[in-house]
Amino acid sequence: MTEAPAIAATKPLGPAPSLEGEFVRLRPLTVDDAAITHRWRHDARALHLNRSAATVADQARWIAGRPANEFNYIIEMIGGPAIGMLSLVTIDLPNRRAESARFLIGDEAAAKGAPAAVEAMKLLYELAFDRLGLERIYGVIEERNQRMIKWQKYLGMAEEGRLRRHLRMDGEFVDVVSLSLLADEYRAVTVPRMGGLMAMGRPRAGGA
Amino acid sequence: MAGAAGRRDEVLAIIFEALESLNQELEPDERVEIGPATPLFGADAKLDSLSLVSVIVDVETALTVKWDAPISLTDDRAMSREISPFDDVGALTDYILELLQEISPA
Repeated sequence: MTEAPAIAATKPLGPAPSLEGEFVRLRPLTVDDAAITHRWRHDARALHLNRSAATVADQARWIAGRPANEFNYIIEMIGGPAIGMLSLVTIDLPNRRAESARFLIGDEAAAKGAPAAVEAMKLLYELAFDRLGLERIYGVIEERNQRMIKWQKYLGMAEEGRLRRHLRMDGEFVDVVSLSLLADEYRAVTVPRMGGLMAMGRPRAGGA
Repeated sequence: MAGAAGRRDEVLAIIFEALESLNQELEPDERVEIGPATPLFGADAKLDSLSLVSVIVDVETALTVKWDAPISLTDDRAMSREISPFDDVGALTDYILELLQEISPA
């Protein structure tokens, strides 16, 4: 049974709440994160994300200008460094939907051996479906980013279609794949699969 | 029907093919060496979680097609084992052989 959302559809969203898990925590993005997020966005790992701010100052202005219907997060290892970013944007409470976006693990080495990406997404989905009471999370992924598309589908997202020439990257138009996850799919597919992947990071009963 | 040794070779070939497919998507410095001792998850592994899921999906799909039965590699049973099936390719092979033995004894 679906519980009533903890945040009513008619109330303003307010600031992004911090979210803590076993391996990572999500804390709100601030202008102090401009330098590190600028570096991540210009690294090879961000190859498939859309165009980023040109300078750290531009990135700081971009962060300061985020609208009220977005929750933008920094992913931190528990007791450790910041490793990436993740956002829930275009949050539409009357229609109970939002877009997951800007997902990037910028420091993969610091996350080694922990299911950090999975838990970061898990925390965001718990916020979206369990606390905000959303019905639908959607997003687009650049078509060449096949590993991310496969990952999101494994975790329950369904492909809805293709947006042709949706992004212009390095002077070239590229298609994106449109994906979405509904609340009942999240509970039936995503939660158990995320649970399985999360379990990989826990110590084994008979392990060293 | 393949014997136990033949079946192990078949399973290894499926895992190696999934890793080969992954390597084709990775940059040269991110590619994994492929062999029975290749670590799949943990501090020693070169794979990130996106890459690991890519391998899991490809291996599950290939096993399901070849043995005509749904096979899940990340259910509670897999995760409750003392030795993780995802420590390395050898551990994953052993786990898959156990699952196949229940579906279709060699």
